[in-house]
Amino acid sequence: MRRSHLRFLVVSMLGVLALVVAACGGSDNDSSSSGGSSTSSSKSSSGGSAGTDNTKAANVQGKKGGTITMLAGSDVDFLDPGRSYFTQGYMVIYPTQRTLYSFKPQDSAKPVPDLAESDPEISADKKTITVKLRSGVKFSPPVNREVTSKDVKYSFERFFSENVGGQYGAYFSSIVGAPSSPTKGVKPISGIETPDDHTIVFHLKDASAVPVAAALVMPITAPVPEDYAKKFDAKNPSTYNTHLVATGPYMVKNDAKGNAIGYKAGKSIALVRNPNWDPKTDYRPAYLDAVNIRTNSSDANVASKQVLDGQSMLFDANPPANIIKEVATQIKDQYVQIPSGGYRYFPINTTIKPFDNINVRRAVLAAFDRNAARLARGGKFTADIPTHFLPPDFPGFDEAGGYDGPGYDFLSTKNESGDMALAAEYMKKAGYPSGKFTGNQEFLMVSANVDPNKAQAEVAKAQFEKLGFHIRLRLVPQDSVYNDWCQVRSKKVAVCGGAGWFKDFADPQSMLEPVFAGYTIPKNPDALNNNMAQLRDPKVDAAMKKAALLDGDERLKAWGEIDKMITGDAPAIPFVWDKTTLIRSKNVNGVANGYYTAWDFAWTSLK
Amino acid sequence: MAAYILRRLLWTVLLLLVITAVTFVIFYVLPSGDPAKLRAGRSPSPETIAAIRHSLGLDKSLPVQYWEYIKKLVLHFDFGNSYVNDQPVKTLMFDRLPNTMFLVFGAAIIWFVAGVFIGIVSAVARGSFWDRFLMGGALVAISAPVYWLGLVALYLFANDIGVWHVFPGAGAYQDAHGFFHKAWTLVMPWLVLSAAFAAIYARLLRSNLLETMSEDYIRTARAKGLREKRVILRHGVRSAITPVITVLGLDIGILMGGAILTETVFNIDGIGRLSYDAIQRGDVSTIQGTTLVLALAVAIMSLVVDVLYAFLDPRVRY
Repeated sequence: MRRSHLRFLVVSMLGVLALVVAACGGSDNDSSSSGGSSTSSSKSSSGGSAGTDNTKAANVQGKKGGTITMLAGSDVDFLDPGRSYFTQGYMVIYPTQRTLYSFKPQDSAKPVPDLAESDPEISADKKTITVKLRSGVKFSPPVNREVTSKDVKYSFERFFSENVGGQYGAYFSSIVGAPSSPTKGVKPISGIETPDDHTIVFHLKDASAVPVAAALVMPITAPVPEDYAKKFDAKNPSTYNTHLVATGPYMVKNDAKGNAIGYKAGKSIALVRNPNWDPKTDYRPAYLDAVNIRTNSSDANVASKQVLDGQSMLFDANPPANIIKEVATQIKDQYVQIPSGGYRYFPINTTIKPFDNINVRRAVLAAFDRNAARLARGGKFTADIPTHFLPPDFPGFDEAGGYDGPGYDFLSTKNESGDMALAAEYMKKAGYPSGKFTGNQEFLMVSANVDPNKAQAEVAKAQFEKLGFHIRLRLVPQDSVYNDWCQVRSKKVAVCGGAGWFKDFADPQSMLEPVFAGYTIPKNPDALNNNMAQLRDPKVDAAMKKAALLDGDERLKAWGEIDKMITGDAPAIPFVWDKTTLIRSKNVNGVANGYYTAWDFAWTSLK
Repeated sequence: MAAYILRRLLWTVLLLLVITAVTFVIFYVLPSGDPAKLRAGRSPSPETIAAIRHSLGLDKSLPVQYWEYIKKLVLHFDFGNSYVNDQPVKTLMFDRLPNTMFLVFGAAIIWFVAGVFIGIVSAVARGSFWDRFLMGGALVAISAPVYWLGLVALYLFANDIGVWHVFPGAGAYQDAHGFFHKAWTLVMPWLVLSAAFAAIYARLLRSNLLETMSEDYIRTARAKGLREKRVILRHGVRSAITPVITVLGLDIGILMGGAILTETVFNIDGIGRLSYDAIQRGDVSTIQGTTLVLALAVAIMSLVVDVLYAFLDPRVRY
């Protein structure tokens, strides 16, 4: 090549590179901050939030009117309150439906009466729950009549039908007459009574009223009018999902016949005001006139930039880690960060030798570099490192030791990056004088074959190998990690390469019992088992059974103590308490709801 | 010719049947996860899983399941419902198919025209500055991943997040109405999608044309006193372009199954994005539907290419 041509090419390439760098650098002029309150790297205050103060944002008297566009990476699972079981669905359901109880953005730990008039009344034997319903709550068009307790009863009954296919029936299985498997058609549940139009009574088989009452925040409790919905529920699957009626301040746009014309699956959801909503019956301010949700904003990087640079927009979920870092360090006033209400952990199979030895498990925890595992999921801007299981801002968290934890040396704030000397001490106590495992057997670890799960499993493998364990990491499709491996006892998985347990409602029993109670392990070794560590500690089991009957502060204290006991047993390595980061345009006063960890349309407003 | 096309169409039907069988085996006999368990929610009882399996028809024998699938497909053109949101797969696909077609055919026109033009210029001006410049550019275009190129294009030229507000940004296509408005919103995606293809076509045509231009019949054409332009276009390019047409047909067919990355970056609601979401969520019926669309597109495009051969190459007769 002639030199002049070469020079020309080099200069051209440099020019292109300069443009690319300028583009990738983002718009620095937008990064100035006014009123940004805190950074996200530090552990949260009692509010559990970073970025803008969510409580403060919720207390702002918002401007009435306006339309917001939300960019969402994926569609809702369902809009039907009987079917939905994911955050995206909840994000639409809670501003459009009145559940018996719900959460204000200011407090995601204590529910408040919503369709209910007051707190649930629990009988002394903890076997009956009575809920009084508010008057004056009406269904949206085309139903247009007042809600009665029979509508709530029908909502429960249809939930258990095959055509609707409710997904969390286990929480309500103690209701007398609750079906143990999906019913053909909607069948009555004898344990739910409606003595009058504004009273509903739940009769339970056992003394489980406290956790069942706590679960009355779930979408199953949103009323569904039988007279209108019956014809849709007769089909399999039910088509009520596209013929919804609302009771909340907003509704999915519909036509005179009730067809949800505002819902285009996989494309968009249009929320408009519910003309039959009476603000006097509700605690929500509902400032906005309308919300347009685009459920196909496929590239999170691009969508995040559009929200941050644009007007009147929200992003529905965690933006990519690079954007989180950017908003946390530069654009400090356009995001809010709230605890995700769950924990991620690596279950250690306590039935496989030598992990049946508590000191071996404690050694693993002591050596484990949880910081590295957190890095695999996005780093310090996306999660805190746990010292026990119950997550921040959750009932029982403080009682279990808060951020500092119960005080075990093998899982403390001091050894977030692992402490090999301490691990060696525990290994010696376990009978390994060298401080390391000296056996030859191979242990099976199973993980999803995609990041971040794959990356976190690779970190975990390296941590076990530091202590001399030979790990065979089997990577499988995400769909089969739990259902075909980690949750199936007969597969003898020694370490699950990552699991997560997130709240369905604010009760510590629901966070610990299914995951660590020995009595929940099914007898059939091929049945799905949530207790992946297969922990069977009689003391923990007895404490759980006792704590299940408690109420109020006593309950929190008891479950906090149980969390400490489980942590002491070291059946798993808790490695992150996720934080949800939500971003918004500059002219939006975004308010997040800590219960379903997403933006709350009924509180958000335009500036 | 008509008999040949009919014969090929019958073979295409047979091919599609084989593909349905293969996809059925992959997704139903060797699934990555049990669809019933995936739908059963938290802490499901074995009875619940069994009931869901029954309602999905997964408790029937595999031949029966396959027969019912084919029956619905052939008689009612019914691909079943999405396991994720119960929407008919047919509706999900055919809502998105026009978007993918618009994206792919628009880009194909650009990459074909650009690729052929650059290939001819480079071959004719072999060894010149322009040859080296264009082939160097082609190398850059081939090396740039479409996802990265899309992001860079948006960050530079999108009218919402770009440094220079030139072209409509990501998601603009969904708000556009009318052919020309939609086409305007696709200019950037077309350019991004076509960059690598144009480069490959240019290099392919250049090498074919260089080889063709050294053939005896080209020398004869020149000796007969034909103008150089006519020699190149009528005799050289016509012969050299045949393999390019083959690749074009297959590329269009494959992209009809989804230009996943382009659709993702520019937020175009197409088949590719639908497939990707379905794979992410283990939505077997949707995956199967989009796989069939891809197979059909490839089969049809290869037929079109074979028919085109007859017009391009006088030696080919059916």
